[in-house]
Amino acid sequence: MENLGALAILLAFCLAVFAVIASVAGGWKRNAFLIVSARRAVYSIWLLVTVASGVLVSSLLASDFRFAYVAAHSNRAMPALYKFAAWWGGQEGSLLLWSWLLACYAAVVVFTNRRKHGGMMPYVTATLMLTQCFFLILNAFVASPFRMLALSRSITAVSDGQGLNPLLQYPAMAIHPPMLYLGYVGFAVPFAFAIGSLITRQPGDDWIHTTRRWSLVTWLFQSAGIVLGAAWAYAVLGWGGYWNWDPVENASFLPWITATAFLHSVMMQEKKGMMKVWNMVLVSGTFFLCIFGTFLTRSGIVSSVHAFAQSSIGQWFVGFLAITIAGTVYLILSRLDYLKTEARLESVLSRESSFMFNNLILLAAAFAILWGTLFPVISEAVTGEKITVGAPFFNRVNVPIGLFLLFLTGVGPLFAWRRTSLESLRRNFLWPALAAVALTIGLFAAGMRHPYALMSFGLCLFVTWTVLAEFYKGARAIGAKSGRNLALAAVELTRRNTRRYGGYIVHLAIVLMFVGFTGSAFNKDTTIEVKVGDRFALGHYEMKVADLREGDNDNYTWDRARIEVWKDGSALGAMAPERRFFKASRQGTSEVAIRRRLNEDLYLNFAGMSDDNQRAVIQAFVFPLVSWIWTGFWMLVLGTLICLVPSKARFQYARLPAVRVVQKNAATIQK
Amino acid sequence: MRQRFRSSLLALAAAALLLGQGGNPLENARVRLLGEQLACLCGCGSSITSCNMLHCHFAEPARQKLLGMVNAGMSDSDILAAFVKEYGQRVLLKPPSEGFNLLGWLMPFIAIAAGLALVWWLIQRFRRPLAPAAGAPAGGPEPDPALLAQMDKDLEDLDS
Repeated sequence: MENLGALAILLAFCLAVFAVIASVAGGWKRNAFLIVSARRAVYSIWLLVTVASGVLVSSLLASDFRFAYVAAHSNRAMPALYKFAAWWGGQEGSLLLWSWLLACYAAVVVFTNRRKHGGMMPYVTATLMLTQCFFLILNAFVASPFRMLALSRSITAVSDGQGLNPLLQYPAMAIHPPMLYLGYVGFAVPFAFAIGSLITRQPGDDWIHTTRRWSLVTWLFQSAGIVLGAAWAYAVLGWGGYWNWDPVENASFLPWITATAFLHSVMMQEKKGMMKVWNMVLVSGTFFLCIFGTFLTRSGIVSSVHAFAQSSIGQWFVGFLAITIAGTVYLILSRLDYLKTEARLESVLSRESSFMFNNLILLAAAFAILWGTLFPVISEAVTGEKITVGAPFFNRVNVPIGLFLLFLTGVGPLFAWRRTSLESLRRNFLWPALAAVALTIGLFAAGMRHPYALMSFGLCLFVTWTVLAEFYKGARAIGAKSGRNLALAAVELTRRNTRRYGGYIVHLAIVLMFVGFTGSAFNKDTTIEVKVGDRFALGHYEMKVADLREGDNDNYTWDRARIEVWKDGSALGAMAPERRFFKASRQGTSEVAIRRRLNEDLYLNFAGMSDDNQRAVIQAFVFPLVSWIWTGFWMLVLGTLICLVPSKARFQYARLPAVRVVQKNAATIQK
Repeated sequence: MRQRFRSSLLALAAAALLLGQGGNPLENARVRLLGEQLACLCGCGSSITSCNMLHCHFAEPARQKLLGMVNAGMSDSDILAAFVKEYGQRVLLKPPSEGFNLLGWLMPFIAIAAGLALVWWLIQRFRRPLAPAAGAPAGGPEPDPALLAQMDKDLEDLDS
């Protein structure tokens, strides 16, 4: 049993090497036997990596402390959920999760496309399997999760393990890493399709439809992973922050931004045959950033609270990145003729140019974040002095970029493809712009002086108005024709063109999130040492310490305060923040008490006991509008899922006489 | 002169440290604000104000030091300078905008400017007519303007 995991990984590695060679040879020589054989190797790899993962998980659940990994990341007192989550709690296990997810994706891709994309699929399989090879090398030879504890030559075990980092013992944290990895790993699929299409000079844009859907799914996972991480930080770290611009947080955000840029610019390729090189760069860049993020987390080149123990593993990532980047650059450069644009830009005032600006600003945000993340390393290399680039830098640089992006979110969809007349711009923009200006002036008159907050609220209203106006216009037209009421007509409108209206819902979700981010300009907080019976106040809230208790269980000891809360004189009940001290890892954590409301959260943290151990140190925070971020996330999920549902519009549109004429006169239109 | 200034700053900091004993420093709003600008060097990646490590070996003494300096009436810039003197530039959460670090601040905006120029160039390039492919038919008959107008309208209504 103890050797089964390691053996499965070794076999999977051998099969992955075979799959790469057989796919390439099969694709090149058009040998169906080799292609099918490589396909079956992919399924077998999935089975083998699943067996290896099963061995690791069952050892974690059974507390088999003969395994070094289990001893280092689990202990007997941990609940079963966190024993399971210890799979990705450490370097070796999380790399195995990477491998397993990649094996799952590869098996699904190969199976669902076994009768599609003919000549290109062997190269898609080869690209996926090359990536799989890399991770299996790490699993088998560099960071094996199946190393046994041994005294001289005999296997031994410790009586209890060191336990999972207590900060990770939280439900959102248990699912945040797998979500993020589903996103990270998932981008290997669009990348593999891009490489396959480059190698085979794929005509048509069938493959780009497949790629777009995969990108959307993995983008959703990335979004979920990022927001879950933010929700975890908010609820666990005790100071109410959900984003700290830590290098590893940044690393997870970078591929999300480039994937967002790709999801926009891919429309240019689908509709106009433009920006093909750029899309290749974005797909590949996103994949490289996913690998780069994994490298940052594991190499220790930047210091981060999330980083795994420093190790030499970084060199392997550098090697893999260097080879894949060189290969991709060569492929793109050698196929520039095939990536030529098929259409022209007719006007600067068009959807096409708005996509270009959107991409520019998204990439600028990505660059600013990457630059800030790596600048300490660059600066130390040049000046010899260590510096820190923290949240104040990122906020100052990225807030204006973010606001401009928000503006484009409102503006972009109002530009028509090909060209937009000034008259139509005026018609579409006048009222939303006036409303935004009126709101900004109103908020200023009401005493709000924070310039970015004023701009942000104004822009949020502007974007909401423009998006809702799009729904209203479309729904009114459908309602007038079919006699449906406006709500039903809006549903029908969305069903007819899911990508467009699903996309709008995602835009509204981003607006909700921006409202939530803007709320942070008005946070209030206080820290106070209190004993039972003491009262203190923050904003509209008044609080009284009703009780202070302590206790312990197998896993941790705890101190808990029961605090009664009033708002403007009316009682809201009691809240109970808690401080835990985990015995195995000898680390403390906060179990904050949060009263979540749409307008503001009241957030109480038990920060510890005073030096004389008589009074509790309580930190109280009021976070306005923070719940809008989480609400926005659910809307983003809804919008993305709608985008994934096939539209009815294509068929309806195809029935219009004008389109038949368009199809007949395709050459004329191109001109 | 500079040396004297530094030593007097240090003396002030030492006096401040004595004054800062007792009470939780985070109860002081200025300590919290200044602490937000200083990096906790315990490895948590947070600021001195927000580090949540239990009995953090860096944040807790640093908060006491901050409180002492605040109580001693030091200005914000003197306090930050005293911290930089003791721990180096890395204690600041944002690098000062001078010397090589200025590049750190400017680079994102230089990139945006370069990107804007690139997009403008691309737009100009995309607006030039396509070179006809060799052997391609040299266009068909002139399209009907009414038909083109209808197509524009359709695209505007039904694009995605």
